[in-house]
Amino acid sequence: MSVLVLDHVSKAFDGIQAVKDVSLTFEHNAVTALIGPNGAGKTTLFNLICGFVHPDEGAIYYRGKNITGLPPWRVTRMGIGRLFQDVHLFDRLTVRENILTAFQNQTGENPLKAVLLRRRMLREERSHNRRALELLDFVGLADKADDLAENLSYGQQKLLAVARVLAVDADTLLLDEPTAGVSPALIPDLLDLIRKLATSGKAIALIEHNMNAVTNSADRAYYIADGEVVSHGSPNEVLGNPTVRMHYIGI
Amino acid sequence: MLVQLLANGILSGCIYALIALGFGLIYTTTRTFHFAHGAIYTLSAYLFYTFYSLYAWPVWVAVILATAAAALAGILIDRVIYLPLIRRGSSRLVPLLSSTGLYIVIVNFIAIVFGNNTKIPSPGVQPTLVIGTLVLTRSQLLALGSFVVLFVFVLVMLRTTSLGRKIRALRDDPELVSALGINPLKTRTIVFGFGSSLAAIAAIISALDVGIDPNIGLAATLTSAVALFVGGVGILEGAVFGAFLLGTLQALTIWQVSARWQDAVTFLLLLFFLTFRPQGVLGRRHRSDEVAV
Amino acid sequence: MNYLFQVLTIISIYSILALSLNLLIGYTGLLSLSHAAFYGIGAYIGTLSGIVFGLSFFPCLLLAIAGTVAISFVVSLPSLRLKGDYFVLASLSFQTIVFVVLYNWIAVTRGPFGLTNIARPTLFGFSLSSDFAYFVFSGIIALACLGLLYLIGHSPFGRLLKAVREDEIAVSALGKDITRLKVTAFAIAAGFAAVAGLLFAGHVRYLDPTSFTLLESVFVVSIIIIGGAGNVSGPLIGTVLLVTLPEVLRFVGIPYTIAPNLRQIIYGLLIILVLRFKPQGISGEYGFE
Repeated sequence: MSVLVLDHVSKAFDGIQAVKDVSLTFEHNAVTALIGPNGAGKTTLFNLICGFVHPDEGAIYYRGKNITGLPPWRVTRMGIGRLFQDVHLFDRLTVRENILTAFQNQTGENPLKAVLLRRRMLREERSHNRRALELLDFVGLADKADDLAENLSYGQQKLLAVARVLAVDADTLLLDEPTAGVSPALIPDLLDLIRKLATSGKAIALIEHNMNAVTNSADRAYYIADGEVVSHGSPNEVLGNPTVRMHYIGI
Repeated sequence: MLVQLLANGILSGCIYALIALGFGLIYTTTRTFHFAHGAIYTLSAYLFYTFYSLYAWPVWVAVILATAAAALAGILIDRVIYLPLIRRGSSRLVPLLSSTGLYIVIVNFIAIVFGNNTKIPSPGVQPTLVIGTLVLTRSQLLALGSFVVLFVFVLVMLRTTSLGRKIRALRDDPELVSALGINPLKTRTIVFGFGSSLAAIAAIISALDVGIDPNIGLAATLTSAVALFVGGVGILEGAVFGAFLLGTLQALTIWQVSARWQDAVTFLLLLFFLTFRPQGVLGRRHRSDEVAV
Repeated sequence: MNYLFQVLTIISIYSILALSLNLLIGYTGLLSLSHAAFYGIGAYIGTLSGIVFGLSFFPCLLLAIAGTVAISFVVSLPSLRLKGDYFVLASLSFQTIVFVVLYNWIAVTRGPFGLTNIARPTLFGFSLSSDFAYFVFSGIIALACLGLLYLIGHSPFGRLLKAVREDEIAVSALGKDITRLKVTAFAIAAGFAAVAGLLFAGHVRYLDPTSFTLLESVFVVSIIIIGGAGNVSGPLIGTVLLVTLPEVLRFVGIPYTIAPNLRQIIYGLLIILVLRFKPQGISGEYGFE
């Protein structure tokens, strides 16, 4: 069974049809790429899944449950993590704090418990701090743990965002252009990570413009243009599709 | 009785409308919550009082000087306080807070110079016009006349001049305001100057009607804000519509409830709109403006 | 000496107000102009509980906190969806409405006639009628409040509030309910304001609505602007500075008639200057940008 399903979803903004009757499925243990020109509606599809935007028509199912119309925080709690194209870091918090906010079910998130169950909160904080440093180490930002997020370079900020979404520990990850802005030396490791996440059981949805990234890490792809699905299949099949080639690659 | 109250309501609506029109022009064009608008209102009233009652200058001289001073003050406030903040990239709350600070400074300065008690520039009973059971004072007629003339002027200006076109473009797309960064300086100058003049005229008419004290400006700011947000934010006509709605509502409140609860009714109305219809009666939805995702 | 204890008591009371408002403005980034309303509601509920039901201080305090927090939900639930100017306006509206109610609901609050001759609390049979005793009492309660606010702020909850200030979208994407966070912060701030209110009533032993106006809300906001927001030192420094300022003016010999106005002018100028030249205030962590 597909873990995440979009069923005939449509969305218009101020009269402009951003998404037209789109149906997609995402599977466990697989990386599914969404590719296509800028402005084709890919990020809108992610926003629809997360609940930042509600569809005009159609429905979205996660693990069989209809999640259409749920607020974003609930969608995340159900197991869907989101990486934004425009990062959305907490600028004036430290790198470490950015990761710490991502852990789920923290005792100290309830102010009453933060006061009355202080010792338990502090114990959790210590273990979360350890985990946060592991994640930061993995993306190479451990030495910047106490710097403010706004002081990182753009590439570093993207890596921080990746580490943060990993901290959410979601079953399904929506990654919007994770490699954009990241220094080329680090991209292979990042793609490697994405593949490992998939093989460990997660469902990964990937929006990418980097075609190498797509062909090397994605199991399946959808080509989306003008808000519609033009082609889908394995990355090579999709990129070999004549309409796609003409449209996108210009051959 | 009801007719008289409604007439009173509509005519106080004219005063509110003049103030709100100025406030709304400024807010719509520059997205600045010009809290100090009320301070300019107070300042104009006291300047008029000084020129007319203390120096005994002719009334038209006093009016023109007070209005000109108000326009100048408005422009200065924009240049000295708001523009530096905007150039620095402040959020909208910082000019609002600075504006509030400025209001406090100006009003208390006036209180020190003139004292806290009420002054009456034009003592004695006013001449009135009687139409059937309606009694209209000279001030009310002045308010009506000024409002009609100035409102028509503004409407014509909006629709026919290039300045008007710029203002309408900016009101329809607040994003454009921030995208443009700083408004062309000339537009801001005209808007602050003219908006402040409207407040001055309202202040003078009101001064001749009920007198002045240092606190009249707060009600002016708050009433114009309520009028603008209830009537319709993106639209100047909204400010005017809201002003008359408020005037009428207040009159009805006085009639049915009591004068003392006016402010509660005014702000309950605002709360209602902010909660259920943030774009006001006449406004259009700008989702980015008001609701957190 | 008594005079000193009175000033210190006022400092204790305002430090509670400032540090609780800091949770809203400094941490969550919500500019609330209704703090004085909760200050007043707490003062009235607490005092009236004592007068009408004859309860002693701590039960009155609990009722004051409970009542004020309950009323805070009435405000926060509808208005916390609003952003920027709109939220400020909503808080301003609520503040004005509360003032009008306190002023005109004479049957309950006695409006402008005020509640007079409020008794000082009696602890363990010992009446706190001396200025020194009441200062010690307020000081201890203030320290307790400050301690609680510190614990609340230095926690994942506090961290999330700051995250809300930075980027609400990201916070929801991390699975955290923003509305619940904001409503909770609002309720906590209101609860502490109520404590300050009851302490105030016991200090001046007289309550009338003119202590709880919009300008009073603005005053507490200016403590945070001038002293600094986000951390603990900022609001505390702001409190001490702005509370002792009128006393300093008095010593310098400013005439009685213009002193209140001059004090306001200084506050106003400080707000403008701080926002323009030092947005994080004297000692704040978070600048008003």
